[in-house]
Amino acid sequence: MAMETSDPLFPVRQTSLCLDIQGNKTDIIISSYEDHFLVIVTQIGSMGTILHARKEEGVSIDPTFNVAVVFGKRDEPMLAACARKLIEHIRYIFQFILPIDASLCICLLNCYQLLHPCYDFCYICSNSGSSKALVLSLGLRDHSVGTLKGIVSAVIEKIF
Amino acid sequence: MNSNGGVEIANQSMNELSIKEQEADESVQVTCFSEFSDDVTLHFQIIRLHKQIYAWIGCNSAKFGHLYAAAPTRPSNNVSVTSLIGGDSDNTGLGIARRLVLKTGLNIVLACNIPKNSPMLEAKAEKKLMEKLISLGYTMRKI
Repeated sequence: MAMETSDPLFPVRQTSLCLDIQGNKTDIIISSYEDHFLVIVTQIGSMGTILHARKEEGVSIDPTFNVAVVFGKRDEPMLAACARKLIEHIRYIFQFILPIDASLCICLLNCYQLLHPCYDFCYICSNSGSSKALVLSLGLRDHSVGTLKGIVSAVIEKIF
Repeated sequence: MNSNGGVEIANQSMNELSIKEQEADESVQVTCFSEFSDDVTLHFQIIRLHKQIYAWIGCNSAKFGHLYAAAPTRPSNNVSVTSLIGGDSDNTGLGIARRLVLKTGLNIVLACNIPKNSPMLEAKAEKKLMEKLISLGYTMRKI
């Protein structure tokens, strides 16, 4: 069950959802700030481990990402992998989904692809400027691959 | 036989009520509001988890700012606070987080983009946030 909870005049847009992941009740809150996304995923009633992920600015075409645990468990590589997956997804959606309507985005994409059929959507986005950083908090009962995959799927579906 | 059945039904109803209360208590609550005064707009976002509170204070913008974590330290009445993101040379939110925990007894993660060297603004934001936490009934100790 997802719910957008922000006042239209409030500058931070947010979505809350509650779902079952691998048998555990999971609350997910996604907030979009001017320069960050905050994703809180909790099964234990607290924020748990907090990670900070951002895209490194560089001259290379292929982007690099920096993922760091700023609070909590530093010996769980799957948590960092989860953040890595999400920051990569944010890079793809930031320039197009946020500032313009989705239908216009698709129209522009179709026009672009008619002119440049070898380019795909990801390439267009990857060269379109800076991306928001991600603050991800994971307060989980288990750190299994199934749980983290479920979290990544749920967040990617809802992130804006 | 009937009275035993009635007692069982009453116990079952009480158990259901206490489970519902527990679920309501464990549910996530989000509160957002803004305060306008002079030429400054303060935005507040409070996310209440069952055992912790996340709060964001925005000053004239929706930038995330620096992130701090603070919690009461047992058995003494001290408060432990640390900056998680940013906050190396600008610890505006550090004091706010520490005082919030000192007065409310809550475990708090605070994000704050109030500019440095703005003590009046900092005090105003802290006061508004404190008032809201009290009005929402989130505090754990008397002030």
